[in-house]
Parts: sequence; C-alpha cells; structure tokens
Amino acid sequence: MFFAPSAVKLDLFFGDCMTGFLNLFGKTPLTRRRAFWGLALVTPNVLGLLFFFGIPVFIAFRTSLQDWNGIRPPVEIGLGNFDRLLHDPSFWNSVGVTLKLMLVVIPVGMLLSLIVALMLNRKLRGRSFFRVVYFLPVVTSTVAATMAWTWMFQPRYGLIANLLEPVGLQDLNWITRPDLVLFPIAAVVIWQRLGFDMILFLAGLQAIPRQLYDAARIDGANGIRLFRFVTLPLLSPTTFLVLILQVISAIQIFDQVYIMTARTTRGGMNDSATTLSLFLYETAFTDSDLGYSAAVALAMFAITLLLTLMQITFQRRWVYYESGSA
Amino acid sequence: MEVVPWDQYWTLLRTDATSGNLPDIFNVSQDRFFFYAENGAILNLQPYWDEFGVDTSLWGSGMIDPYRWGEARDLYAAPVNWDTIVMFYNKDMFDAAGLDYPTAEWTWDDFAAAAAALTDPANDVYGAAVYSEYQSGYTNFIASTGIPPVVGAGRTECTLDEPGSVEALEFLAGLYNDGYMPSVSLIGGASASDSFNFWLAGRVAMVTNGSWNLPTAIEQATFNWDVVQLPRNPETGRTRSIVHSVGYVASSNSDAADLAANLILYLVSDEGSAFFANAGGVAPANPAQQQAWVDSFGETSVNIQAFVDALEDSQGVTVFDEIWDTANTELVINIFDLNVPVVDAVAQACGFIDAQLAAQ
Repeated sequence: MFFAPSAVKLDLFFGDCMTGFLNLFGKTPLTRRRAFWGLALVTPNVLGLLFFFGIPVFIAFRTSLQDWNGIRPPVEIGLGNFDRLLHDPSFWNSVGVTLKLMLVVIPVGMLLSLIVALMLNRKLRGRSFFRVVYFLPVVTSTVAATMAWTWMFQPRYGLIANLLEPVGLQDLNWITRPDLVLFPIAAVVIWQRLGFDMILFLAGLQAIPRQLYDAARIDGANGIRLFRFVTLPLLSPTTFLVLILQVISAIQIFDQVYIMTARTTRGGMNDSATTLSLFLYETAFTDSDLGYSAAVALAMFAITLLLTLMQITFQRRWVYYESGSA
Repeated sequence: MEVVPWDQYWTLLRTDATSGNLPDIFNVSQDRFFFYAENGAILNLQPYWDEFGVDTSLWGSGMIDPYRWGEARDLYAAPVNWDTIVMFYNKDMFDAAGLDYPTAEWTWDDFAAAAAALTDPANDVYGAAVYSEYQSGYTNFIASTGIPPVVGAGRTECTLDEPGSVEALEFLAGLYNDGYMPSVSLIGGASASDSFNFWLAGRVAMVTNGSWNLPTAIEQATFNWDVVQLPRNPETGRTRSIVHSVGYVASSNSDAADLAANLILYLVSDEGSAFFANAGGVAPANPAQQQAWVDSFGETSVNIQAFVDALEDSQGVTVFDEIWDTANTELVINIFDLNVPVVDAVAQACGFIDAQLAAQ
C-alpha cells in the first residue's frame, strides 16, 4: 500500500541520478567531485532496485512468452499465453470478483475513513487515543486479523451471528456461500485499511487554512455548506491520492481471501472469491503453469496502469489545487 | 534445520523445483509423486533395489504401487511411513447416553443409531462428523462399498457418480440432514483437522481420523476416549480404510546420486527405520518396526492396534493432485454445508474431474 508514494519518490530519485551523471562531466572540479560522491552514495540503492525490481520484472516479461511448468525446460510459445488469457473464463471470473470487491471496498472505505477523520479532527476528549485505536488495524498482522474476522463470521457461534440472531439470520454460511463470501472479505479489507486513509485525510484536513473557514462564515456559510464548499474542494488532492492508493491495493487483494477461505475451499465455492492475485498464485503454485501465471501478472499490471491513467485524466474535473501548489 | 508445516512443504518443494534447487533427498506423498515423476525430477531407485537385493514386496502393494513409474514399473521411492483411518470416539458421551462402546463389528446401521442417540441439540452436541475432505472422510465409506473413491484405478474416470459412491454419500447426507452431523461452517472447516479439533473440544462424539493425530489425542483430550475400526458396509460386510504413505525419493539432478540412494536404503532398513519407530508419531512402513511403533506410546488403554488392523483391507490413495483436492472440498461443502442434493453435487464434481482427466 506504500507503493504509490515511493513511486513518486523513485521518479525524483532517478531524475537526481541523471543530473548527477551529467554533472560528472561538469565544468568545475567541485561540480565533478560532488557528482562523483553523490553517485557513489546512491549506487548501492540503484543496484538494490535493479536486483530486486528490475531483474524480476524482466524475467516476468520473458516467462510470459513461455510454456513452463518449473521443472521441464521452458518452451517458447510467443503470445500463446495472452491468447489463452483472453479466452479463459477463470481469468475473467477473477477480474469480475476483483471489480465487485473494488466497488464495495473503495467507496465504503473512503467514506468511512473520511467520516472518522472529520470526527477526530475536532476537539475531542481522548482524541490521540482514538487516533491510535483507528490506526492499530493497519499495523496488525493481516493473517491474525483475518483469522479473527473468520471466527466472527462463523454461523451460530460467531459475533456477527449473535448480532443477527434477533432477525433470525444466525445460521448464514458467510464463507461458503458464493453469494455472501465477498462481504466478510470486504469487511476485513475495509477495517484494515481505514486507519491509513484516515491519517491521510487528517493531514489533508489540517492543511486547510483556518481563514478560509472564517471568510466563508462571514459570507454566511455554516455546517453542511462549509463542508461542501470549503472542506471538500480543498481536500480533493488528498481524496485523489487516497483513491489512487485504494485502487492499487484493491487490485492486489490476496491475503484476506487466502486466509478466510483456507479452511473451506481456497478462493471460495466455484471460485466465487478468487481475486486476480489469488488466480495468479494458483496458476503458479497449484497448476505449476508459470508462463501463464506471468502473463496474468502482466495483465494485472496493465489493468492497474489503465485505471491509474484514467484517474489522472479525469482528476482535472474534480481535483482542486490551490494556486502554486499544483 | 527448519520444520515446515504440511501444506507449506508442498509449496516450498514446488518453488525449489522451479529454481532447480531440489534437495538430493526429499519426501513425496503418494498423491504428489505423479507430478515429479512425470517431469523427470525423480531418480529411479530400481537399480539400487536390485544391486542390494532388497525384497521390496515386504511393504505390500498398497504402499508401493503408487510409487511405480515407467514401462518397467520400476520402484522410484522408498515408503517411509503410512497412516490409516479409524474412528475416534468420546467414551464419556457413550456412558452418559447409556450406550455400548462401538466395536470392529459395527455396521453403518449401528453407527447411525448411535449418532442419533448421542446428538443433543439443546447443548449443541453432535453424534458424528465423518465426512471431511479426502483421506479421513467420506471416501472411506465409499471404499467399503467396494468402489475406488473419487477416481478409478486406471485414472480414466470419475467414480463419484457410481451407485456405491452415491449410496455412501446419501447415507452420510441423511445423517447430516437429520441433524446428527454438524455443517462444515459450524465445524469451521472442511479438513480432517477441523473435524478432529471439533471432537477434541467435546462437541461431537465420533469422528474419523488418521494415526497422525494419535499423539495429539493422547496429549490433549480432556475426556475418556478410544479408537475403533470404521463401521462395516451392511451389504459387503467390509470395513475399509484409505491408506496413505509418504516416501523418500532422490532428485534426478543430484550430484551424488549413489550416495543419496544409499542413504535412502539405509533410512528404510530395519536399523534406520527403528529410529523413527521408537520416536512414535507416524507409523513406519517397514513391517518389522510396527510393533515398536505401537509400543512407543507406552502404557495406554487406547486400542492402537486398530490402526494396524485397518491396513488389512485398505484402499490406496487413488492418484490425484491439488486440483482434485479442491473438487473434494467443494463436494463436501456442497453436500454438508450448502445442502445441495447428492446427485447434483456428484454431477458437478465429476464434470470437473473428468475434464481434468481428459486434459492429462
């Protein structure tokens, strides 16, 4: 989930490296010496990136053009894996499952985190305590948290079943029913992500200058109108960041599904909870179909890129940057 | 040295194989042997058996046939241990209900009557939980009708829709529908360990499970209990258990193939296997060590001999891999959680399994 901010930094980082490289041939000895030491100091990082990101990404591209079960020598099949992907109902099922999850997780998650951020931005007794409480799920182990949620969703004995008992719904088989399984998964994803988005919203809220509220009040605005005409527009750069991060992390939902359905049937009955990431994992480690799996990974990359580009294109319509900060 | 849980071991082995780093010697179970053998990753041990004049027939065919490969049906693995399935029962619950303890002569009807009598809905206590996924569960009941469960011996067709399979599943579904068995969701999972833990928690009187859980039961059960062979099919009169074995194999890429093969031969010899037998745990494949394994549990009233007796009329694992495993859990959940009628559930499972078999 920290991918996007670091991607921005990465961009700056490589820019600096290029400048440093050009300065190696700079005019003065001082420029050249500075450039040399600067580059010498970033070299370990660059090598690390190359080794842990560059090479694996290259291998993924390479493998996607092969039929390879991991043991026998790979066979070159050109774009065969991609052709198969387009006609594979299991792949499209996983795209559908991922989209359905996104449609629930992103709006509900963003709305809840904004509400919590607004509440915790007020002068409130024990405010720091509540901020910590809301952030705790973010730093909780996903495996442990998901197991706890799985128990909560157990029929008859679970917490949710107890809450639903008055309306007679205590025997719902949340995890095994294809029509219900995405709800517990969405719940744990939203719960775990809430604190992180809340912190981003809080930072955004605190960056809004007080005098804008004062000026709006003098103009006769209050309550809802302050929120609608001051808070929301000025918060929009943060909202945009949260949205991009939400989309990227929602495409990658894996652990929660893996853990929650591990004890019944992985990926849910009839693959009703098999997300793109889980589908990728299963093609690689259950079916030993590594070439195909690499093609799935590249398809995921393409979908993420497409969605991010769409958001950047449409941001002009609703994201408001104060002059000078855009 | 690192201890890896059962499920993770197989993922780890696949990643090792992918990176060309298979260990010189590793364990494969009978159901996973096929994948590695088919891809030429396993060394043929037959020349070594021949060179040292080992009588491989001592293990019995159920133990070694799944490890044969190629035209010559050479033996590629050395069986290291086995596990069979029996019924664990809570004696306290039988006492409280005033019932006689189960015997090895019990039929399905005796079992069903006891399950009904032991069920106590007011206290959320169930009579039995015997349907769990593959080895520990419903397949034993199918086997006792005389049909190889899930997939036929020739690996050409799904057998779940054959009359014996349907009869066994209908019998179990009947117990579930009558409320004598809990649903998968109530147990919390479809696996054999989930049912076993439900039994350990005192929530169900009878559960089918394997010898690998014997040490856990001895250590953790807080009630009086014992084990007995599975109930007999009323028509065939047979009590049958699925037997499953893990074996040692050597990597075909090993730099030291002779050394690896020799070590395997030592590990499964009387001397080598005695070491594991005396430590308890899983039963050794070497028949000479079986008594040592029974004795390793010390003074106990538990009828450990039942596991050995269950070997007698046992059914080997019909070869399957992870894909069929999923079909197994889905079948179990369909019938014992989502209340799908048996005929529909087996039709769905067979559709999937037959497609997989055809693709191979």
